[in-house]
Amino acid sequence: MIADTREVLVEVKNLRVEFKGKGKKPFVAVKNVTFDIYKGETFGLVGETGSGKTTIGRAIIRINPVAEGEIRFKGQRISGIIPKELDREVTRKIQMIFQDPMASLNERAKVDYIVSEGLYNTRNYKDEKDRQAKVEKALLEVGLLPEFASRFPHEFSGGQRQRIGIARALIMEPEFIICDEPISSLDVSIRAQVLNLMSSLQKEKSLTYMFISHDLSVVRFIADRIAVIHKGEIVELAETEELFRNPLHPYTRALLSAIPVPDPRVEREKKVLVYDPRVHDYSVHKPKWTEIRPGHFVLGNEAELSQYEKLLAS
Amino acid sequence: MTAKEEKTISAIEEQELFTFAEFDEEASERTGYSNYSYWGSTIRVFLKNKSAVTCLIIMISLLAFTFIQPYLPNQKNPITVHLDPNTGRQLMNHPPSKEYWFGTNSIGQDLWARIWSGTRTSLLIAIIVGVWEVAFGIAFGALWGYVRQLDALITEIYNVIHNIPTTIIMMLLAYIMRPSFKTMILVMCATGWLGMARFVRNQIIIIRDREYNLASRCLGTPTSRIIMKNLLPYLVSVIVMRIALSIPGTIGWEVFLTYIGLGLPIDTPSLGNLVNEGRRLIMSPSLRYQLIFPSAVLSLITVSFYIMGNAFSDAADPRNHW
Amino acid sequence: MSEPILSARDVVVKFSLRGQILTAIRGASLDLYEGKTLAIVGESGSGKSVFTKTFLGMLDANGWVDSGSIMFEGMDLAKLKTEREWLKIRGKKIAMIFQDPMTALNPLRTVGMQIQEVLELHQGLKGEEAKARTIEILGQVGISDPAMRYHQYPHEFSGGMRQRVVIAIAVACNPRILICDEPTTALDVTIQAQILELIRGLQKKLGLTIIYITHDLGVVANVADDVAVMYAGDIIEYGTAEEIFYNAQHPYTWALLSSLPQLGIKGQPLYSIRGTPPNLFNEIKGDAFAPRNPRALKIDFVKRPPYFQVSPTHYARTWLLDPRAPKVEPPATIKAMRAKYARDAI
Repeated sequence: MIADTREVLVEVKNLRVEFKGKGKKPFVAVKNVTFDIYKGETFGLVGETGSGKTTIGRAIIRINPVAEGEIRFKGQRISGIIPKELDREVTRKIQMIFQDPMASLNERAKVDYIVSEGLYNTRNYKDEKDRQAKVEKALLEVGLLPEFASRFPHEFSGGQRQRIGIARALIMEPEFIICDEPISSLDVSIRAQVLNLMSSLQKEKSLTYMFISHDLSVVRFIADRIAVIHKGEIVELAETEELFRNPLHPYTRALLSAIPVPDPRVEREKKVLVYDPRVHDYSVHKPKWTEIRPGHFVLGNEAELSQYEKLLAS
Repeated sequence: MTAKEEKTISAIEEQELFTFAEFDEEASERTGYSNYSYWGSTIRVFLKNKSAVTCLIIMISLLAFTFIQPYLPNQKNPITVHLDPNTGRQLMNHPPSKEYWFGTNSIGQDLWARIWSGTRTSLLIAIIVGVWEVAFGIAFGALWGYVRQLDALITEIYNVIHNIPTTIIMMLLAYIMRPSFKTMILVMCATGWLGMARFVRNQIIIIRDREYNLASRCLGTPTSRIIMKNLLPYLVSVIVMRIALSIPGTIGWEVFLTYIGLGLPIDTPSLGNLVNEGRRLIMSPSLRYQLIFPSAVLSLITVSFYIMGNAFSDAADPRNHW
Repeated sequence: MSEPILSARDVVVKFSLRGQILTAIRGASLDLYEGKTLAIVGESGSGKSVFTKTFLGMLDANGWVDSGSIMFEGMDLAKLKTEREWLKIRGKKIAMIFQDPMTALNPLRTVGMQIQEVLELHQGLKGEEAKARTIEILGQVGISDPAMRYHQYPHEFSGGMRQRVVIAIAVACNPRILICDEPTTALDVTIQAQILELIRGLQKKLGLTIIYITHDLGVVANVADDVAVMYAGDIIEYGTAEEIFYNAQHPYTWALLSSLPQLGIKGQPLYSIRGTPPNLFNEIKGDAFAPRNPRALKIDFVKRPPYFQVSPTHYARTWLLDPRAPKVEPPATIKAMRAKYARDAI
């Protein structure tokens, strides 16, 4: 195996997140999730509604408490109770971009306050003038006009609002941004704007992204590596092209086959696979999270793994 | 200009028209604007409601008049007992006349002066209690709704207080303490905030987990600022409506407490006192004016605030903003 | 080509909102052919839903058809006024399904009863006969064990299954036209693929004519025979699916296609459109897309382009097709798509 020289920024180990319901038994949203995110990459997390992908993102940014396992940022544990000093640092360095720009901005506050909210919290400005300069810079960086600072969010369109959300994260000078479906509620013609903006910002500021989405085609375009999550468990993780070339887990294959392709001839020829969880027989041999090829992880028991090996060989 | 010339000119123009236009990036950024303003629309819709505006004007004039009235010429003292100049005895139950506009009561006090003094007292109580409800009820309700760790504890406290009927608490307090203006306020403040606190809590729970609040938490915004900047501004309209409705409610309680004999002392006129006095005379038709006049003022205040509160709640609903 | 089953001409729809008049549809025309699927693509606010709602008399109370005609079976639907007239069309001849299946289902009644009721009302079936037919239809829309499912309530169904039930209700009285308004947008991709397959299958079996409204060009490629592209209340390009995907003419269609990440090249910026769609409260002069089009012509700001014919089935509303217009290179993605088309055509 090739030694990996890339610097690990975020480590998630055996993560388990539970929600207390009405009954005694808590609802398990995420279980046995393990992955690393390297510095400077875009890590895609793909899954369907209720798969737990958003829960993982919120666990990393510490909105959802961790039931088991741990999360590390730059080698330091950030899950559970942590010292105040570290808390402040993590608050600044990990940021989040939300799904719905209509819901994620405070309608009753001016853009100026929304963008500087993080600055106020960290006191990361010298004086009022410095703060205003920072707000102006952040707005310009996302392609908005500085005069927008004195307006309220409802005056803006979805794409502009999403960029206000990005400016709010950028002003903290973060290193790691969790993007939770940042373009799925935007109009088609606006999506490219936001995707381009995110890519160029990543290059400029050497940011690391975790890109959460249900749309494999978008993730394919933007992510370096992709993890596929199903019912709270990651079933496969590989570099993007490797995953598209050699999907192993039947769920990944079903998901890949279902993506609509904007090309009528291709689209009409395609064969949709249906995933049936009953294909797995885990009664005797339990599945294990295994690196089947360097960088290509898959969840399966021994019988399945040998079958996947064969698939890879052919 | 001949038709031919016109044709050549338009041909030139046409050629010009088929060249590239300059692209203004800033203009393309401005296309999506709307100039909608929440408060602007709320006030506009409210002002369109004629009956609500009428009520608002009436209430403002009424409140102003209660304060101006004592300084007007020829006004009588509300607690002075007037004597009949002929007999030297108390001028009891004198019907409305030039001298006594609303007549006098059973011990010869001027009803006109008493009504305005009483309205002033009652409105003052209602406003003080209203302000307290807002200040304490909102603060309590906001913590109750937003800080999850406090939820169980405060809910228990609420249940304990709430499960004792308000009437009993009020009667007990009013009974222990001496009937006075202060007592009345204290009694009503002791229970009035409960409803407001629970109302604010429920409203906050509805909006607590919206994405923009999660965003603020991710940015490390302290709870106090989330409450002040993210939550309460969304509730201003519903809170204003609650206050509008709480004022006639408080006056109603005051009337009730007086009715059961725990209200203000007789020498402090209030709407409760006046209605109570009038009630005793309901059986004799010639004296009914003593009930009708205070009741009219009471109804006017109650109905006006209800109309205003409802009009405001309609106006504050964005679905009505067209 | 055969006669269209439905033909809309210069339809203008207006809404009154906050004391202002909004023109949601600005003279859109459309022909719908029997047994075909027409996809209407557009962004939110482009008017794609509003336009099709006029075919059913389902505009909100503050909206109205201002001018234009919608011919269907020799009747002008734009002239229908009363609810009674509409009831002869709505559900019977033209049915519609929506994004959220729960808007069409009654949560308090069993799924079977809801379908059976439609059958009894419109087709005069009674009792056991109606029940048998209901179970048959449930099976037809791919619900397994329909006899058991017949007695269940909507909340016992998953999102995809509910949408199947809604489709079952819609096709229960054999409508001629089925309008699908983003029926799969709220569903997961794997479920979406199955619903699309179902709709295609039903179309073949029942000879339905379908209008499919969506913003997802991937879905369009899957279902559509013909495609209409809408922008700011107008159909700006119309053609067969192949013509739209492989030989697009309008700059907005170019932009839509080339901004798709699926067609983009990794590591390179996507083709992107600046700005946002226009505010329909304002009067739109010329080509509505011009302010966002970096290569707009001066005439685009002055005069609204007419439809230029590209092929007997392909029309586009852009001055670029005027012989006097300068040559404009389409974006790289469009060129690649064209090359593909040209290669296959030989």
